Amino acid sequence: MISSRRRSVALFSRPFLFLSALFLSGCSTVQYRLFHPADSIANVEWHYTIVDVAVMLLIILPITFMIALFLWRYRKSRNAAYDPNWSHSLSLELLMWGVPLIIVVVLGYYSYQSAMLVNPYKPSVLAKSAAADAPLQVDVVTTDWQWLFIYPQQGIATIDDLVVPQGRVVDLRLTSASVVNDFFIPQVAPMIDVMPGMRTKDAFAVNRVGNYEGYSADFSGEGFSWMQFSTRIVAPSDFASWVSQTQASPHKLDYAQFRQLARPTVNVGAKPAYFSGVDPDLFEEVYHAALQGVVYPVPAELPIPVPAKAAATQAGPARS
Amino acid sequence: MFVHVPGPWSPLFGRLTLDSIPYTNPIILFAFAFSVVAGLMIVVPVLYYRKVGYLFREWLTTVDHKKIGIMYILLGLVMMFRGFVDGMMIRTQQVMADGPKSLGYLGAAHGYLPPEHFDQIYSSHGTLMIIFAVTPILTGLGNIIVPLQIGARDMAFPMMNAVSLWLTAVGAMLVMASLFIGDFSTAGWVGLAPLTEVPFSPSVGVDYWLWAIQISSIGTTLNAINMIATIVGMRAPGMRWDRLPIFTWTTLSTNIIGLTSFPILGVALALLGADRYLGTHFFTAGMGGDLMLYTNLFWIWGHPEVYFLVLPAFGIISEVIPTFAEKPLFGYITMVAATFAIAGISWTVWLHHFFTMGAGPYVNTFFSVATMLVGIPTGVKVFNWLFTLYRGRLTFTAPMLWAVGALFLLLIGGLTGMMLAIPAVNYTVHNSVFVIAHFHCMVLLIAYSIFAATGYWFPKVFGFRLDERSGKMFFYTFSLGTAVLFIAMFALGFMGETRRLDYLYDTQWMPALVTEEIGIGIYTLSCYYFAKMLYVSIRDRAKNRVGADAWGTSRTLEWLTHSPVPFYNFAVTPQVNTRDELSWRYANNVAGVRPSRFEDFHMPNNTVVPLLIGILAFGFGFGLVWRIWWMAGFSLLAIIAVVIYRSFARDPGYIVSAETLAKLEGADEPLSIITETQHLAELGMITETRHLTEAEAH
Repeated sequence: MISSRRRSVALFSRPFLFLSALFLSGCSTVQYRLFHPADSIANVEWHYTIVDVAVMLLIILPITFMIALFLWRYRKSRNAAYDPNWSHSLSLELLMWGVPLIIVVVLGYYSYQSAMLVNPYKPSVLAKSAAADAPLQVDVVTTDWQWLFIYPQQGIATIDDLVVPQGRVVDLRLTSASVVNDFFIPQVAPMIDVMPGMRTKDAFAVNRVGNYEGYSADFSGEGFSWMQFSTRIVAPSDFASWVSQTQASPHKLDYAQFRQLARPTVNVGAKPAYFSGVDPDLFEEVYHAALQGVVYPVPAELPIPVPAKAAATQAGPARS
Repeated sequence: MFVHVPGPWSPLFGRLTLDSIPYTNPIILFAFAFSVVAGLMIVVPVLYYRKVGYLFREWLTTVDHKKIGIMYILLGLVMMFRGFVDGMMIRTQQVMADGPKSLGYLGAAHGYLPPEHFDQIYSSHGTLMIIFAVTPILTGLGNIIVPLQIGARDMAFPMMNAVSLWLTAVGAMLVMASLFIGDFSTAGWVGLAPLTEVPFSPSVGVDYWLWAIQISSIGTTLNAINMIATIVGMRAPGMRWDRLPIFTWTTLSTNIIGLTSFPILGVALALLGADRYLGTHFFTAGMGGDLMLYTNLFWIWGHPEVYFLVLPAFGIISEVIPTFAEKPLFGYITMVAATFAIAGISWTVWLHHFFTMGAGPYVNTFFSVATMLVGIPTGVKVFNWLFTLYRGRLTFTAPMLWAVGALFLLLIGGLTGMMLAIPAVNYTVHNSVFVIAHFHCMVLLIAYSIFAATGYWFPKVFGFRLDERSGKMFFYTFSLGTAVLFIAMFALGFMGETRRLDYLYDTQWMPALVTEEIGIGIYTLSCYYFAKMLYVSIRDRAKNRVGADAWGTSRTLEWLTHSPVPFYNFAVTPQVNTRDELSWRYANNVAGVRPSRFEDFHMPNNTVVPLLIGILAFGFGFGLVWRIWWMAGFSLLAIIAVVIYRSFARDPGYIVSAETLAKLEGADEPLSIITETQHLAELGMITETRHLTEAEAH
């Protein structure tokens, strides 16, 4: 009797064991990216996530408990108290409008506060660190389906590889050469749309050296699933040497060459490329070209990433 | 004048060539074979039993609101099944395509679906589930139940009701046609601009999506007009506003949303169509276009649309819980106020769908707070249901289980919705699968309500109850699938998985993806129990026959007339005395009283015009999709001609005489209908008594 009952319990809970394994396995690695913010901005975002959930649970948990209790207590077979006419109570009804209202007032205040702190255009949380060093300017252009990071002050550019020095505020300007993408580095920067013919801004700063994955979050067509890029936060000295190394790259980039680059390309494995002698106004040129209706259309013969066999052998660089 | 699109074009067939038919794709071939077999399973018996005439006379040309409602729901269920298969294919692709080492089959680099096929499937999953599954089912439920709840003989405009149905069906048929002829949009159910523009989507896919939604949304708008007119103008004597059943209230509010929001979608799609067909630049990036204008217009419709769907679901919960708690709904006035509060706020929140657009913190905070305000009336509703349960006498039938399940989904959806409403939090989860899991909680809440409503009102429409045993198994397996799949999906959201990926680069997601696949497997099992529920219920229908009141504890007017409901609904228009009319009649022992006399009444004739308009609308849509100008032009002119013809045709309907009615009623069990005020007076009843319930009567 007992054993059969235990077996049925085990059978029933098997899917849930799987679920608990799912959550536990996250503790040792950075599998749960949002639980492991890198610094400042992501910290604020994660902090307000917890605050919001905590405030909401103040009302959700008692309601859940009461529903469960009432379902159990007032089932017909239990012959509990039955009050077939009770359908109105002024005090209760005032209370049930009032309590959610208070919750919304509290959360509305937090919403405003956090919106100012992580405002992608001018995050007040970075105001202090901004004083130390002039921010690093990086222009971001998305094509179908790659990320082009332009460092106008350094005259260099990269494909799918964002390298920034630790501790310095990075000011991003973003635009798209084709359709809308979302710039997203889960542990580092707030998500922001990347739109053709429009310029958006984003900013972040990370005080520790580390590697993070970034990718596009908004669907942009067939190569969208391969739109990852690496984000490397390096020591200032390493950044300087990386810049001079990249400045030695034989590949140049101006708008004419950008037109070639912007042809629809699925970059399997997000293989990086580096350019020197980059036109510092390239970002503006791409933006104005989009305004004038320039597109780099998807060709009739649509590119399909790689044949099945090649995919297994030709794995891109490990990214995790 | 017309935009150049790549590929061949001929005056006779437009862009349509033999190459447009994807007969080399084994998945589509299988889907085609499946559809053909399913179609034959319907057509062959109809031909064999010589039921073509019956089908045509009684169903295809009907203007009866109940039959139209049934066809709406059937259409929705079939589309829901196809949407579910799409969902299953999405899940299977993702679990097979995780990591660079994952293998590819059927010409795909990873998994079994190449990107352009996967993108069509996720787009059609969303389009089907929202526009062609949930919307028609809820519209159908409103069609069947609302006239019964307010004591009307039919909708205000019976023929227009049929036109609405056939226009919705045309949209669904266009989506089905895209499966076998050409392709479907790859730009999502929202139609991401400027991905929907010709340079990025030159094929017919976006055109299919555009015209399917455009045509069906005209149907939805017409239905909204019809519903509002019915509820405002056709209430039985005594059905004052403060006595209106909650489901009717929510249907009214939802159709006010529908009437005011669907035209915006129509305009947005018309402008997009102008871009694609006439070469304008409304939503392009350059040439003065503004792609965010599309996004704004779409969501100014899209967010009210969410409440368009969820308010009737709330109405259903508000009908089911009191019946099985054997108590009136707690806080009726509060509930109605909360319903209209939600409907009102629904207009001020659309920007929360794109907090990441780059609007300033003040704009974002405004929409954030507006979004949270929705939480207040929604919270009020939860409290209302909670206190309805308090000191009730709960019976856990299958409909009650679905309603209770919907409550828990609402709590989870509300918690995660409040997270998404904060811009700073939104920046970390927007466009991630966390959002997907959140809105699936909300849409599943609607699905749960739909299953509750199906079980609850099925006996009213068909005269027998659904099988409880398999119905409960359906609920338990479906709920287990929901838990397993969507808990894993929330987890993946925290891991940073973004949406619409046909290849996943991070192998750490594998355990969660496998869990999701198990979840969808359990859902598949629940499909079996759904089919079994239908089969067993129809087989044992003699055992499960019910009288007028199928549950014995029902409270509202629709349970007063026969089950199944006769074509004329009520033999004599009932006199409404209080809010929960049937409970009041039980309490006063007048629930089973026969009417003292019958009167002649008028009914509308069946007509082939709506069906004809539907067929021509399909020709119009199909012609435009493939740029077969003569077909589109002819169909449009023919629709106009049919409408003009109908306007001049004399179709006075027919009169059901009192004698015929008496005969129809006499053949049955004693009537559960009471009429006129005098008759009540004879019985010594006061017409203004409120809220006497059976407990007091006993």
